[in-house]
Amino acid sequence: MPRQTAVTASLVTLIAMAAVLTTIGCSTSGKQPATVELLARAPERGNWSPQTLEVEQGEEVTLVIRNVDAVTHGFYLPGLDLTVGEIKAGDVREIKFTPQVAGEYGFYCSVWCSDFHMHMRGKLVVK
Amino acid sequence: MDHRLPIKYVILASCLTLSACGGSGEFSGDLVGGQRTVEVTARKFEYDPSIITVKEGETVVIKLASEDVTHGFYLDGYGEQTTIPPGDIKLVGFTANKTGRFTFRCSETCGHFHPYMIGHLRVLPNRKYYAGVSLVVLLGLGSLAYGSKRREKHRTHLFGVIPLDWRFELTKYKPIRALFKSRWFPLVFILLNFFVFVVILVAGFAGGFSAGNVNFGVMVVWILWWVLLMTIFVPVVGRFWCMTCPFPLIGDWLQRGTLGSGGRQKSWGLNKKWPKRFRNLWPVTACFLLSTLFVGFFTVQPFATFVLLALIVIGAIVISLIYEKRTFCLYLCPVSGFQGLYSNFAACEVRVKNPDICKTHTPKTCYLGDEHGYGCPWMELPFDMNRNTYCGLCLECFKTCPHDNMAFNVRPFGTDLLAERKRTDELQNRRGLDEAFKSLTMIGILFAFFLTMQGPYGWLKDMVMAASLGGYGLFLGGYLLLNLGLVPVLFLAVSYLSKQASGNREVPLKKVFVDFSYCLVPLGVARWAAFSLGILLPNGSYLPRVFSDPFSRGWDLFGTAGYQWTPFLTGALPYLQLSLLFVGLAFSLEYGYKFANRIFATEREATRGWIPMLLFIIALGVFFVWLFEG
Repeated sequence: MPRQTAVTASLVTLIAMAAVLTTIGCSTSGKQPATVELLARAPERGNWSPQTLEVEQGEEVTLVIRNVDAVTHGFYLPGLDLTVGEIKAGDVREIKFTPQVAGEYGFYCSVWCSDFHMHMRGKLVVK
Repeated sequence: MDHRLPIKYVILASCLTLSACGGSGEFSGDLVGGQRTVEVTARKFEYDPSIITVKEGETVVIKLASEDVTHGFYLDGYGEQTTIPPGDIKLVGFTANKTGRFTFRCSETCGHFHPYMIGHLRVLPNRKYYAGVSLVVLLGLGSLAYGSKRREKHRTHLFGVIPLDWRFELTKYKPIRALFKSRWFPLVFILLNFFVFVVILVAGFAGGFSAGNVNFGVMVVWILWWVLLMTIFVPVVGRFWCMTCPFPLIGDWLQRGTLGSGGRQKSWGLNKKWPKRFRNLWPVTACFLLSTLFVGFFTVQPFATFVLLALIVIGAIVISLIYEKRTFCLYLCPVSGFQGLYSNFAACEVRVKNPDICKTHTPKTCYLGDEHGYGCPWMELPFDMNRNTYCGLCLECFKTCPHDNMAFNVRPFGTDLLAERKRTDELQNRRGLDEAFKSLTMIGILFAFFLTMQGPYGWLKDMVMAASLGGYGLFLGGYLLLNLGLVPVLFLAVSYLSKQASGNREVPLKKVFVDFSYCLVPLGVARWAAFSLGILLPNGSYLPRVFSDPFSRGWDLFGTAGYQWTPFLTGALPYLQLSLLFVGLAFSLEYGYKFANRIFATEREATRGWIPMLLFIIALGVFFVWLFEG
């Protein structure tokens, strides 16, 4: 194979690989064990995902909420007084907290997001 | 929603009639003591009422409420902005001291069609519209008066000023020629675009069903790429995109067994020949029309963009393994048709410098290829090329010509439209019904696109994005009828009238139809550029955000992730759009009269035969002025 071809070929492959790997890499790496990801979607398009979050009592948790929907959502967990307010479409919000008391806590969407807005709820289980 | 459709049609019909008559109809809301109050309900993806009519000088208060999710309100030209959470009532007040039609649009991401949730405020009297219509009519009738005066010079000059054969050769500069002869050009751009499109595909796939306006794939393809294509690439350079398009890269590689170096084709594929009767714009016209049926999906949904692009990538690879060279680009790529046709208007061309050198030069390395480059991948005969339609600007002929006889020229706009048919045209460079039909379908497609993306009709948006199957079916039916039936039949009728008016019985109707269709090209290029500006200026400010956070992971690569939606120059949009239309119209009229002189035998016949076509073009001009500003 001519040298130029080899160079081009490796360039093309590298570019493609780099693009794919950066995406996958950045989306999975850098994740601490105590990071919990929560996807926000209106109930008819998938609801909170996962709808049940499990965390350990007394350990600091980073909750990453990603709005992968096409409308604005909000996050409100009254039991631990956690709120991030509005999360617009495509936005990502983080909250850090340390749950002290074991139990189950409900969380809700705090922005009217669809006809089924009232069904957009999930629970946080502190073990 | 379906049961309300008939009433909506009646409303639409009456709106159309009203605006066509100059729109002195009903004003909106209630007028109390010089203040006009209009109650507007916002819902996905319309305002109700979506057309607000007020009188110049009135104090206007718009009471906004939302029926479903948080919407926004931004009024072009006046700059008023607010957000409307459901359950709230927001007031927007201003003095209607600017006349014309102003678009108000949603400023809060409210769903897939959010960027195209639009209403119109009409402040009467709509002087911009009247001025536009008058100017179109004046231009049209003026060109006729001027046309009957000019004699010899107009045959050889554009507008009687610019010589049609004027050329400025860019490649006479050594660095440019050296660049064009390098194997790395335009490969470097292709590789760069390859990277961008990998990111687009990943973003489209990862974005799934999230909002398109915060997705890298949707934004870069439909807001940036499309608009650059329609406002700069095609009108000025021609098939510039084809030069740098990354989609055929893998196919080329498979066919050539090498990417960087030159040489004759030794394809790994079957290298079959594309059937002769499809060597024209018919297949690409069909492909484009077919893809536009799904416009309500892929322009707003990341995953749909991914599917469309993936189909094109896979199609390009598969076709490259079955058929020879750039068969996919020539005959199957959906965006190849309008690029090919409208490139004839472009101000750039690749041509032979001195045809005499080519006559004695054998073998024809530009067609067969040599150790420096490949035989024309676009299956053109570079030594005999006289039109841009099928020239992909890949620059291989610069590399293969041992006499440096190829030139990249700047030229007056649109000179290819006058290109004569030549011997080889039956084989590959057809100038005929296929191009005429492509030109005509681009009218109906623009009409539908404009109403969907810049029009105030929520019910139409519901139909186009298939909110209900019945509505979508109705859209498909109406859309295909418009493009395949109404517009071509109307143009046929005008061509027939033109033939009758000329008094020439000898000239075939097909010749009148085909040759006159080319005078729609400049107006076509102009209206698409105008439409595209109406997409970019309001929505371009979503771009800084997606550059910094292409996969919606909360990144901030360039520090622009927090950039808020800011409409850019939307107050000037009507003037920009109208100016583009006028320029296009002027070129259409100029070339149209030249065509008339070619179609008919005598000048007298030409002038008489031109009149029905002139009236049609004036009507078309008025129609677009109404669509954009009425």
